[in-house]
Amino acid sequence: MRFFSFHLMPYSDLPTDYDGPAWVTVPNEFYDPALGSQLYNRYLDELIYAEEVGFDGVCVNEHHQNAYGNMPSPNLIASILARQTSRVRIAVVGNALPLYDPPTRVAEEFAMIDVISGGRLIAGMVVGGGPEYYSFSINPADARERFQEAHDLILRAWTEPGPFEFIGKHFRIRYVNPWPRPMQQPHPEIWIPGAGSLETVEFVARHRYAYMGIPYFHVSVFERMFRMFRDACEAEGYEADPLQQGWLVPIYVAETDEQARREYEEHLWYFVKRLLPGITIQPPGYTSARSLGNILKSSGSFMLNLETWEQVVDGQYAIVGSPETVTDMLIDNLGRLGTGNLLGLFQLGTLPHDLTKKNLTLFAEQVMPKLRAEFPEGQPVIRPSATGQVA
Amino acid sequence: MSALNEEYVETDVGKVQVFRGGVGPPLVYLHSAAGEAVNPTAEALTEHFAVVAPVFPGFGESEGIDTIDDMEDATFHHLDLFDRLGLGAVPVMGLSFGGWMAAELATRYPERVSRMVLVSPVGLYIEGQPVKEIFGRTPAELAEDMFADQSHPMAQMMHMLSEFRGDVGQQIEVPMELVMPIWKSMSATAKLGWDPYLHNPRLRRRLHRVTAPTLILHGAQDTLAPKAISEAYAEEIPDARLVDVDGGAHLVTLERPEEVAQLVTEFIGP
Repeated sequence: MRFFSFHLMPYSDLPTDYDGPAWVTVPNEFYDPALGSQLYNRYLDELIYAEEVGFDGVCVNEHHQNAYGNMPSPNLIASILARQTSRVRIAVVGNALPLYDPPTRVAEEFAMIDVISGGRLIAGMVVGGGPEYYSFSINPADARERFQEAHDLILRAWTEPGPFEFIGKHFRIRYVNPWPRPMQQPHPEIWIPGAGSLETVEFVARHRYAYMGIPYFHVSVFERMFRMFRDACEAEGYEADPLQQGWLVPIYVAETDEQARREYEEHLWYFVKRLLPGITIQPPGYTSARSLGNILKSSGSFMLNLETWEQVVDGQYAIVGSPETVTDMLIDNLGRLGTGNLLGLFQLGTLPHDLTKKNLTLFAEQVMPKLRAEFPEGQPVIRPSATGQVA
Repeated sequence: MSALNEEYVETDVGKVQVFRGGVGPPLVYLHSAAGEAVNPTAEALTEHFAVVAPVFPGFGESEGIDTIDDMEDATFHHLDLFDRLGLGAVPVMGLSFGGWMAAELATRYPERVSRMVLVSPVGLYIEGQPVKEIFGRTPAELAEDMFADQSHPMAQMMHMLSEFRGDVGQQIEVPMELVMPIWKSMSATAKLGWDPYLHNPRLRRRLHRVTAPTLILHGAQDTLAPKAISEAYAEEIPDARLVDVDGGAHLVTLERPEEVAQLVTEFIGP
C-alpha cells in the first residue's frame, strides 16, 4: 500500500449569507488575497509535513474559477514541492489536457517538475470537470477527442526523438521537440482520475495506467467502479495491479471516535454544503450516451445530497474516528475495493491547521503502520471475502 | 395524427430523418435547439405548402453529428440535403438556431433560398446583449425565457424535468426516455454553438449577400434572444422587415402557431 496526502487548497471563508454555487459564477469579490496568502502557505506546509511524518506521496490537482480548490495551476504548487520536499512522490492529479493549447505545454511543465524533483513526479492527466468547460469556453463536445489527441501528443513528445511533426484535428505543431525531457524513463507514472465513465476505464486499462476513483460517492459506487476497471484490464489480457488503482477519501483521525466527530463535523458540512454545489454541472456533449445512464444513476449517491452524519458513516463518504476505528474501516474498505494506493484528504473545507496536522500525525503514527503490515506492497489487496458477494 | 410524415434520407453524413406533409409549393422548416421538426406551425403550413422539416444531425434519429464540426459543415449538409430532396430555390424558415442556419445558407448560397423567414433568430452577437445561457441552466429556468405562458405542455414538461437534474440529483429514477432526447439535442447544439456562443462573428458582414426577401418574426415576450439580434438582421439584409408576434416568447412557432402560419403564408404567397 502506498499512502498519499491529497490537498485541494479550499477557500475557507465564503460569506455565511451566500448560498450559490462555489463554481464558475461564485463572485470573485469574495476572494480575500490576504487570507489567500495565509492559506496557500499554510496548505503548502501541510503537504510538506506529510513527507516529514512518512507519507509516500502528496497530491495536488487543477480547478478553475471556484472556491472548492484554489489551484488553477497545480504545476506551480508541484514545482514548489519539488524544491521543498526531498523524498515524496509528487502526484499532479492532474492537468486537464483539453484546456492546454498546445498540449506540449503539459509535456514541458511535467518534465520540468520531474527533472527538478529528481524523478518524483506522477503525471496525472484528466479530461477536466464539467465546470472547467464553462470557465474556459472550450467546447465540451470536443472534450474526449481533445483529451485523446493531447495525450497521444504528450506521450510521443516524451518518448519519440524530436523534432517531429504532429498534425491532429485539434492540435497542429510542425516542430515537436520539447526541452527538457522527463527524468523518469520512458516517462513518469501516469494516473488518470475517473468517475466511472466507461470510455475512461477502458482507456486506462488499455494503456496500463493507474485509475484513480474520483471521490464523494457511496462506497458501493467505488466498488462497482474498480470492478469495472479490473474487468477492463482482464479484457485487455492482464490482471490489474493494485498499484494501478487508487481510492481518494476524506480521512479524519482523533483520540477517540467521539472527539473525531466533534472536531470534524462542521468542517465536513462546510465542504459538502458550501464547496461542492456547482461541481456536478454537466455541460452538453461532455458525456457519451452510454455513460450518461451510469452517471445519472450514481448522481443520487453523490456526497452533495447528504443530510445526516449517519449517511456519511453508512456510505463511508469520510473515514472518521479513533486510530483503531479508522484502521478497521480502512482495512475493510481497501479490501473491498482492491486499491493499492490510498489517497487521503486530511484537510477538508474549513478544517484548521492545528487539527489538520494532528490528523496527519495520528494517521501516520497509528494507522499507516498497521495498514502497511496488512497490505504489503506487491501483494494483492482485494479480498473477495470481505465484500461478501462479489457480483 | 400529425400532418407531417416521417421519412429517412441518405446524405453524405449519414441517414437523416425528415418530416414532410402537405401539397403546394415547397417550404423548408429548420428547427431550433429544441428539435421541434414536428410543430403546430409546420403542421398548419401544410394547408398551403409542401412542408419539408429535416431533423438536424445529432437530433432525434438523425445520424452524422460526428462529422459536422462547425457551421460551415452544417451549411454543406443542408446543401447536400436540398440536392437529395430535389429542392432548388426554395423558401426557408427557421426558428432560433434554425434561423441562424437559414441565414448561413442564404449568405453563402443565396440562389438556393427564394424567401426567408427568421423566427427569434440567434447567430449574431450584439455587444452587451448576449443570448441568455442555454447550456448551464435548468430546464425550468429555460422554460421561463422560452414560453410566455408557463402552462404550455412543453413548458410544463421542462419544469417537471428540473426535478430530475441539477445539483441536488435526488434519489429517484431518472426518466431516460425524456432525458436522452434533450441531452442529444443540447449536445448537437453545443457542437456548433458553444464557442462562439450561438453566433458566427463573420455572419453580420456577409448578410448583404442575402437576395431573398426576408421576414423576421420576434416573440414580443422573448427574454432569451434579445430583439437587437432580429433588428440587426433586419438592418443588414437588403430586403427585410421585422414583425413582433405578441403573446409569444422565444419558441413562437410552438406558442403562436396560427399567427405565425398566417404571417408566413401571406409573406410567401401561393
